[in-house]
Amino acid sequence: MIRRAVLIVLGLIWLGPTYLLLVNASRPASSYDPASAWVPSGDFALLENFGRALESANLSQSLASTALYSVVSPLLGVIIGALAGYTIVVLRLRGGFWWFLLIFGGTIFPSQMLLVPLFVGYSDAGLYDSRFGMILLYTAINVPLAAFVLRNFYSGVAFSVFEAARMDGATTWRIFWRIYLPISFSALTAVFILEFTFIWNDLIFGLTLTQTEDVRPVMTAIAGLMTDVYAGTPVPVGLAAGLVVSLPTVILFLATQRLFARGLSLGSVQ
Amino acid sequence: MSVRTPMLGRFRHGYVAPAALLVAGLLYAPFLWTAYLSLTRYDGLEPPAWIGLDNFAKLFDDPALLTSTRNTLIWVVGTMVLPVGLGLLVAVLSYDLKGGAWYRLPFMLPYALSGAGLAMVWSPVLSHGGIANLLLGVDTAFLQEAPHNTLAMLLVWTWQQLGVNTLLFVVGLQSIPKEPIEAARLDGAAGWGLFRHVIWPLMRPLTAVVVGLALVASLKTFDIVWVLTQGGPGRNSETLAVTMYKDTFVASDYGYGSAVAVMLTVVTGLASYLYLRRQVSAT
Repeated sequence: MIRRAVLIVLGLIWLGPTYLLLVNASRPASSYDPASAWVPSGDFALLENFGRALESANLSQSLASTALYSVVSPLLGVIIGALAGYTIVVLRLRGGFWWFLLIFGGTIFPSQMLLVPLFVGYSDAGLYDSRFGMILLYTAINVPLAAFVLRNFYSGVAFSVFEAARMDGATTWRIFWRIYLPISFSALTAVFILEFTFIWNDLIFGLTLTQTEDVRPVMTAIAGLMTDVYAGTPVPVGLAAGLVVSLPTVILFLATQRLFARGLSLGSVQ
Repeated sequence: MSVRTPMLGRFRHGYVAPAALLVAGLLYAPFLWTAYLSLTRYDGLEPPAWIGLDNFAKLFDDPALLTSTRNTLIWVVGTMVLPVGLGLLVAVLSYDLKGGAWYRLPFMLPYALSGAGLAMVWSPVLSHGGIANLLLGVDTAFLQEAPHNTLAMLLVWTWQQLGVNTLLFVVGLQSIPKEPIEAARLDGAAGWGLFRHVIWPLMRPLTAVVVGLALVASLKTFDIVWVLTQGGPGRNSETLAVTMYKDTFVASDYGYGSAVAVMLTVVTGLASYLYLRRQVSAT
C-alpha cells in the first residue's frame, strides 16, 4: 500500500507540469497570465497556436529542412553502412575486422571535438550554411551505427544464400540490393528511427554550421525563438511550438514500435 | 577461405569506400585537427600558431572553467541521484504491481517532448515572476542565481528523463529469474533486505549499462543549458560543453576552445574507462 501511495504522489507531481503545458498551450494566446495558469481556459485554441507557432521565425521552413535532413541522411547512412557490413561479412573483405573497427570507431568522438574543424573546413569548402553540407555531416554520423547493426545481422545469414545467387550469375551489387538489403528491412528500420530521432533533435551542429532560416534545423530555430518568449512571442504560442517540434518523433516511434523492437533484437542476436 | 576471389567480386574496396571516406573525412580528420589546434593560438583568420601546452596551462587558472567544472559535476552527481536513482525507485516500486504500467504512465509522458521543445515548455514556469515563483510563493530567480539555475535545469531534466530510465530498469527487473527471489522469500527475506541482497545483485548488468550511458551523457550536457540560460547569466550556469562552445564561437578563441574540447574528451574517456574497469572487476 505504501508502494502505491508513493507512486501516486510522485505521479501527480509529474503530471503537474504536463497539465500546465497542455492547458496553457490550448489557451488563446492573449489570455495567458502566470497567476491563473492552473485554470483551464474555456476556449480551445491549440490549433490556432500551432498555426501561429509555425508562422513565427519561419518555423515551417526550418521544419521542412529538418524533415529533409532527418529522412535523407539516415536513408543514405543505413544503405552505406549496410553496404560496408555486407562487404566485410559476406564478401569477406581482407582485413575486414580492421575496416569495421575504423568505421565503428567513428561513434566515440564527442561532437565538441568536431565543431571547430567542421566550421572552418565547411567555410573554406563553401559548405557552411548549405543543406548539402548538413546532409553530408549527418550521413557520416549515421554510418557507424548502421555498419555495426547490419554487420551483426548479415553474419547471421547463411552464406549459401549468397553462393546460390552467385551461381545464377548475379553481380555482388545486385545480390546486395535485391537480397541482402530487403531481408534486413526491420534492422534497417530500427537504425533509421534512432538516427531520425538523433538528427531531429540535433541542436549543436545546426548552431555551428548554419545561419539562414531555410537551412537552419528546427531545434536550432526553436532555441533562437526562446529569447523571444520574453520579447513578444506569447507563452501559449511558445508552448505550442514546443509541442509541434516534438510531434514527429513521437508519431514515428508509435507507428513503428513493433518493427523497431523486432529490428533491435535481430540486430543484436546473431 | 576456400572461396575464390571471382566468386566474391573484385570491387570490394569500392563498396566499403563510401563508409570509410565519410567517417575518415568528417569524423576522424576533424577529431585529429581539434587535437592539433588545442596546441595552437588560432582565431580562424590568421593561420594557427604553435604554442605548445599554453592553452592547457591556462585551463587551470580560468575562473570560468572552474565554474563550469563545478556545474558539470553537479550535473553528473545529480543525474545519478535523480533521473537514475529515482527512476530505479519507481521501477522497483511498480514492476510487480498489478497495473504497474498505469502507475508509470505519468513518468513516460514528458519523454515525448524532445530537445529544445523541453526547454521551450519550462521557460515560462522558471522565468522570474513565472509560474514556479507564484506557486511556491518565493521570489527566487530560478534561472539567474547560481547554483539555483543548474539545480532547476537538473529538475527539468529529471522530469523528462526519469521515465525512460524507469522503463529500462523495469525491463531488467522483469527479466531476472524468479527462483532466487522465491527462495529468498521463503527464507524470510522481504522489503529492503530482499532488494539489497537478492534483487540488486541480479540486476547489476543492466544497472551498469543505464548508469554508464547516463554518466557519459551528463558529462556532455549542452542542449538544455544552452536553450534555457545560454550558460548565463554571465557564465554561472555553463557546463564544460557550453564553455567549449562559447570560448570557440562567441570569443573566437578556437585554440583555447579546442583545448576545452580535448579536456572534456579526456575526462569523459577516463570516467568511462574507470567505470568500465570497476564493472568488469566487480563481476
